[in-house]
Amino acid sequence: MTKTALSTDRLAAHGLQLRYGDRTVVRELDLELPGGAVTAIVGPNACGKSTLLRGLVRLLDPAAGTVTLDGADIHRMPARALARRMGLLPQQPVTPEAVTVEALVRLGRYPHQRMLTPWSAADQAAVEEALRRTGTDALRDRPVDQLSGGQRQRAWIALALAQDTDLLLLDEPTTFLDLRHQLDVLDLVTDLHRDAGRTVVMVLHDLGQAARYADHLVVLDGGELAAAGPPGEVLTAELVERVFQVPCRIVPDPETGTPLVVPLARR
Amino acid sequence: MSPDTLAPARPGTAAAGAEPGALGRARRRTLVLIAAAAVLLVLMTGVALSTGQVAIALPDALRALFGFGAEGDVLVVREFRAPRVLSALVAGAGLAVAGSLLQRLFRNPLASPDVIGVTGGASFGAVLLLATGASQALTPLAALGGGLLAAALLGAFAWRSRMAVTRLVLVGLAVQAGLAAAVNLMIVRFPAELAGQALQWTTGSLYGRTWPELWGAGGAIAAVVAAVFLTNRRVAVLDLGDDSAGGLGVDPHRTRLGLLLLAVVLASLAAALAGPVGFVALAVPHLVRLLAGPPTPASLALTALTGALLLTAADHLVLHVLPVHGLPVGAVTATLGAPWLLVLMIRQGRPPQRSSR
Repeated sequence: MTKTALSTDRLAAHGLQLRYGDRTVVRELDLELPGGAVTAIVGPNACGKSTLLRGLVRLLDPAAGTVTLDGADIHRMPARALARRMGLLPQQPVTPEAVTVEALVRLGRYPHQRMLTPWSAADQAAVEEALRRTGTDALRDRPVDQLSGGQRQRAWIALALAQDTDLLLLDEPTTFLDLRHQLDVLDLVTDLHRDAGRTVVMVLHDLGQAARYADHLVVLDGGELAAAGPPGEVLTAELVERVFQVPCRIVPDPETGTPLVVPLARR
Repeated sequence: MSPDTLAPARPGTAAAGAEPGALGRARRRTLVLIAAAAVLLVLMTGVALSTGQVAIALPDALRALFGFGAEGDVLVVREFRAPRVLSALVAGAGLAVAGSLLQRLFRNPLASPDVIGVTGGASFGAVLLLATGASQALTPLAALGGGLLAAALLGAFAWRSRMAVTRLVLVGLAVQAGLAAAVNLMIVRFPAELAGQALQWTTGSLYGRTWPELWGAGGAIAAVVAAVFLTNRRVAVLDLGDDSAGGLGVDPHRTRLGLLLLAVVLASLAAALAGPVGFVALAVPHLVRLLAGPPTPASLALTALTGALLLTAADHLVLHVLPVHGLPVGAVTATLGAPWLLVLMIRQGRPPQRSSR
């Protein structure tokens, strides 16, 4: 896996504070995500990792602070222009009834289209490429709501790919999938990074998977930054115990050598 | 769904020359249905224009509509029949498009102008005007104003929850119930003959429409329907849920408010022509979905045509077929609508097959 950080596609938060009503979920966060890398955001339940992701793609307006993309405040960018630079796979997208895979993926072209322009060859090429990369080509005429969980997730990733953005943000893309399909999705996402140079930011639950697949790890705890950096440096036994309240040992993953969290026996 | 469904086949794809696969098949079927609905609508309009105390042959009636043919035919068709028939046509199209937009926005097959209080508002406006004793020529305007008033109430109460769907529906039902109650209060206190007139504005009727009203409301309905077509891509993106829409550059709250406004104006304009006619806005989008599948610009065109056809046919039933004299068209559509609604409810009662992912 290449580890070269680009100087573009850098997302950063400066003094970022995110709230739902009166409840502050993310407080005073300063963060810089490397461009051209895979970043995983991890942390215990309710630590604000999904909220942070929502803040980074402008689904939430900050109560204080800013989010910048290559130094420009994303809240000052036109919505479509921003959507041409970063795509999002939300945790719970709504599948419209009876919509086919191809029709779904075509919607990814929305930020590139103008009101009256017809569907272009470039639009179709982007859709074909997205279908091919996600292996959903053969499913294109199937209704999305009749697919299996793994197939459906790939269709949604294809939509985000058709959007043709340099940055791709994914909110827990592996939830509700069995192990094989989890790995399929993570392989797909990191291939996008490796083959197409995309910057990937994803919220993950599994620390071992995060360490395996990410170049950069962001650990949140109670809405604050607990640690950030390469998984090998960040993921220590002290950190896991402090953030997750799980006493553990960190051993090298026998397959990849990346850090693997092994909880201590409790009885 | 696909934003280009009305456009010619896409250029330069490797798969096939014409639109391949399921998308292409669905589109071809919809286009055939559109042609069929258009032919039926022309026939129905012709039949409605040719029927009456003075019988006119169908081709002559259609020609007379555009001012050609015998002078007597032109007079009868253009002065007496056309305003009413064409009002039914335009109002039906407007109601159907408004209903389909609302059902998509609310992600609820039971959504219709009743649910957001617009029909209650239209009756309220019209009946209030009757109560003040003002000129009856102003009634359509009052109905329009009442519908918009209901929408303003809805917006004011639902905006704080950022136009969340459940809140919109609850507030809309409350607005509808309140305005309907106000209408009933007024009617109870009216003298008998005024109450009769008022009743027309609680069920919907096309009695006494004039050319100026038709041009005004019809033109506005055409403009709003055109705007709905232009927003189709946006609506399709909004169908993916607020988060996905946001990620694609669509502000879900503002977009929903804008689309809601379009639907409200459309339903209010239709109510100005035909009163609060039930059933059309609820049933036509379902019928079209059954026939033509998930919504596309082509199926939206089919919705407009079917709505026009349905209301024109219902009004023809009222005028010339049913034995009861002076029945409001809304009574007919409601009689047909109630069983339909029951069937829908029963089908909704089944365990949901849709999933959220």
